[in-house]
Amino acid sequence: MAVINQKKSKVSDEVPTASMADIAFLLLVFFLVTTVFPKDKGLEVVLPEQGEEIAVSQNNILHLIIRTDGIVEVKRGESTSIQQMRPDDIEALWRNEVTANPNLIAAVKTHPDAPHRFMIDVLDSLQLAGAERISLQMLEDI
Amino acid sequence: MSIRGGGLDRKSKASSEIPNSSMADIAFLLLIFFMVSTVFRNDKERPITWAAAAATEKIDEKAKNILNIWVERDGSIWINDMNYPMEEVSDVVAPLYARSERHLVISIRGDRETPYSFMDAIQKELVSAGVVRVVFATELERQMTRARR
Repeated sequence: MAVINQKKSKVSDEVPTASMADIAFLLLVFFLVTTVFPKDKGLEVVLPEQGEEIAVSQNNILHLIIRTDGIVEVKRGESTSIQQMRPDDIEALWRNEVTANPNLIAAVKTHPDAPHRFMIDVLDSLQLAGAERISLQMLEDI
Repeated sequence: MSIRGGGLDRKSKASSEIPNSSMADIAFLLLIFFMVSTVFRNDKERPITWAAAAATEKIDEKAKNILNIWVERDGSIWINDMNYPMEEVSDVVAPLYARSERHLVISIRGDRETPYSFMDAIQKELVSAGVVRVVFATELERQMTRARR
């Protein structure tokens, strides 16, 4: 009996520290899981520098006029013929056009009242088609 | 002492467990390391609906070099939790751009329904501030949903 008493007092004389590590890891995992990393993603464009204006031949411009209803009017250079299409069809159009003329520039002109997402749709299609020479403008002569 | 095998028994008891009291210290060291190394954003999210695009790419720039410009549906502009009128955007962005040694990337976070006239005005302001790299923040659109649209 004396032996058992001695053993009991030995067990209880320190705070159990083995579970402290578990608590700390629980905290660690909690903070790791609840940390939300912001979504820094999007469509990158390079803005022109101030006063940078390059004269471009009308033959090298593909006008994409975005209407308020999201329909895109495609006009080649100075020709007056207008082709209407959906933003998704721009991707195939650009691939066709750029093989015919590698110097082509996409001039995206958006109606001031058109929602932002229609411009994003067109920009998306152009970037999917690998277009790099894109000019973003607002439609001025309505 | 004399009852339980005279000292030898005690010695073996001391070495029978791995000391785990320092494990908590290691865990706290890790915890503190991760808390310190986590960079928190300096602006709160504005209530906007994201535009979706399939060509969405991650911005290849450090988080501290990305400035968010929030454009809400009504055209109000928020930079670093402050509301600014359109004309002041270039005055706000230009010093930040100079301080970042021209590494700053502007993330334009426009609501999908914002009229384009506001987005155009923002771009003109950024051009006059000398900013070159601009990202239109979008959500990644899966090709599947794109095909259905």
